[in-house]
Amino acid sequence: MLKGESAVLETTNLKKAFKKNVAVSDVNLYLDKGESVGLLGPNGAGKSTAISMISSLVKPSAGDVTWHGKSVVKDPNVIRMHLGVVPQDIALYKELTAVENLRFFGRIYGLRGKELESRMANVLEIVGLTERKNELVKHYSGGMQRRVNIAVALLHEPEIIIMDEPTVGIDPQSRNYILEMVQKLNEEQGMTVLYTSHYMEEVERLCDRIYIMDHGKVIASGTKQELTGILSSEETIWLELDRSYPGLVAELNDMEEILRVIETDKGIKLITPKNSRLLGSIFQAAERQQAQIISLNVQVPTLEDVFLHLTGRKLRD
Amino acid sequence: MKSIFLLQLQRLRREPMLLLSMTGMTFLFVFFLGGFGASDQVEVPVYFDQSMNGKEQDILLERLNQSESYRFTETDQKTAEKQVALGDIPFAMKAMPDDYRMLIAADDPNQVLVDQYVKQVYAEELRLQEAESATGETDLRNGVEAALKEAPIGLTTSTAEGESTSGEYSQRNHFLFGMTLFFSIYTIIFSLSKVAEEKRTGTWNRVILSPVRKFHLYIGHLAYSFMIGFLQIVIIFSIFRYGFDYYIGGNIGLMLLTVACYTFAVVALGMLLLGLVNNLEQLNAIVPIVTVSMAMIGGAYWPIEAVSNSILLAMSKIVPVTYGMEALKGLALDQSLSALAQPLAILIVIGVFCMGIGINLMERRA
Repeated sequence: MLKGESAVLETTNLKKAFKKNVAVSDVNLYLDKGESVGLLGPNGAGKSTAISMISSLVKPSAGDVTWHGKSVVKDPNVIRMHLGVVPQDIALYKELTAVENLRFFGRIYGLRGKELESRMANVLEIVGLTERKNELVKHYSGGMQRRVNIAVALLHEPEIIIMDEPTVGIDPQSRNYILEMVQKLNEEQGMTVLYTSHYMEEVERLCDRIYIMDHGKVIASGTKQELTGILSSEETIWLELDRSYPGLVAELNDMEEILRVIETDKGIKLITPKNSRLLGSIFQAAERQQAQIISLNVQVPTLEDVFLHLTGRKLRD
Repeated sequence: MKSIFLLQLQRLRREPMLLLSMTGMTFLFVFFLGGFGASDQVEVPVYFDQSMNGKEQDILLERLNQSESYRFTETDQKTAEKQVALGDIPFAMKAMPDDYRMLIAADDPNQVLVDQYVKQVYAEELRLQEAESATGETDLRNGVEAALKEAPIGLTTSTAEGESTSGEYSQRNHFLFGMTLFFSIYTIIFSLSKVAEEKRTGTWNRVILSPVRKFHLYIGHLAYSFMIGFLQIVIIFSIFRYGFDYYIGGNIGLMLLTVACYTFAVVALGMLLLGLVNNLEQLNAIVPIVTVSMAMIGGAYWPIEAVSNSILLAMSKIVPVTYGMEALKGLALDQSLSALAQPLAILIVIGVFCMGIGINLMERRA
């Protein structure tokens, strides 16, 4: 079977323009059943606009979204019963308890009586809030609010869940809990997941395939191996310095063998051809500029490096 | 729709302060401004011309005091002149057998109303005396009074200042109607601001992504705002009608219809404002300006008849408060549905117009 041939969700040349400002253009992506797909890109890359169109919230200026071959643009209802969306904001009624929120959202999906109560108990178990279900949401910590935010999206047992940066602004412990939960939903329950984030490590951990977006366009896509393969002929040399040395940056930039020099807060990142034997020249340059090297590390390419290579920017710029 | 409506009720149960504070404020304002059971009659000191004997004085005083709006009290000329000169009382009246004079030191809005009323009493008396002398019937006066109790035609007097039925005008009713309509605007529009709040927090989009139709989402919110606005007005009217003996008309059904039309118009106005603003902060800033302005030019603070500026009068014609006040005053005078049809119809038209534009603007922004 060809890639995407069994796609449950597919977008074709998706475009959204707000007056003259084009937020998203030519986005083509697909999700196979049970697949976990990441949409990676810096803030303002167009990820949220893209998923708003995919989820039928915003009508595209051009292009189409299909769910099992049926156009979501023509009839948004074809996807709504099967879709769970976890928005970036805490979209809950904070003056109500977790249970009251779940009961309301369950009712609008047509759930009633015992079925509703059983599903509520199930999702509260999944997000680990059974013990504190009767507390007002406004009294929860940020991490707990995020978990209720996810619970609401899972209540009607959707086939696909779209998560828009679900771990923004929470502590590492809650973040880890959420990532484990998403992993379980995908691996154990076979739920199809579209996960957007600007945290490379989250996408690397959770997703089978990744789409990288920048300036409203998909600039690369594939599995992690395929994407890092873009840099297979290159390696990254990470030079940690005690402070900034503009002279050293200039000197390294002048070396023809170095493909790219990126100055960061803690040092300099160099993209070089693989096995280029440049370490000696780098040390000599550092000696000439009287730069104090704290550490030097030769790394295999990461998605961050791929993004850097493709855009010349860091993901969190 | 039912789920959306019930959700708003649940949120109200958790945060009832808005409704309670607006109802409480209305109660306090009407209670202190309009009076609490005590008469709001205008007191008019009267001194009599020397040509009138004691019996004539008593008869005239009794006739003048037949109105519930005024209380004529006997005084002597010296005291009256001194009190008027010192500003202790705004005016006094000198009564003569066939005529009267008003002793005035400064302009007072009540003086015009008193003058109109006294003129009417004297004119009626002179006509009766003339009829008695012409027909020679001694029982004519009683016959006329009995016939007037079941008069075949009602006469509403139009004054130079406006379309008022000033002779029967009750100031405490004015405070009751004005303050109730004024504070209900706050309750209704702030309850609708939940829509803006939901759009900001993202719950609005979350509901839109569910199988609930957008039409039902709007209806749920509008029905809730309508209900709490309607209830607030009805509760205040009931408290003052049954607790403090305010007379606000005998037709309860027509009263509820009037309140419903007014509430609908204000809910629709709230939707228009929601459509015009970009966020909750803008709405919170604009609501007091719009509400106070509407109350001022719509006659909630003072009678619209007191306004003579043609621009303000023209503006008052597009404000729901104007028609709400007009209909409620008519109800207090026991006017029928046909007499109140015009203000009620205008309230509905304002409502339909504002609702259409408001929802359209909101959808364009979505």
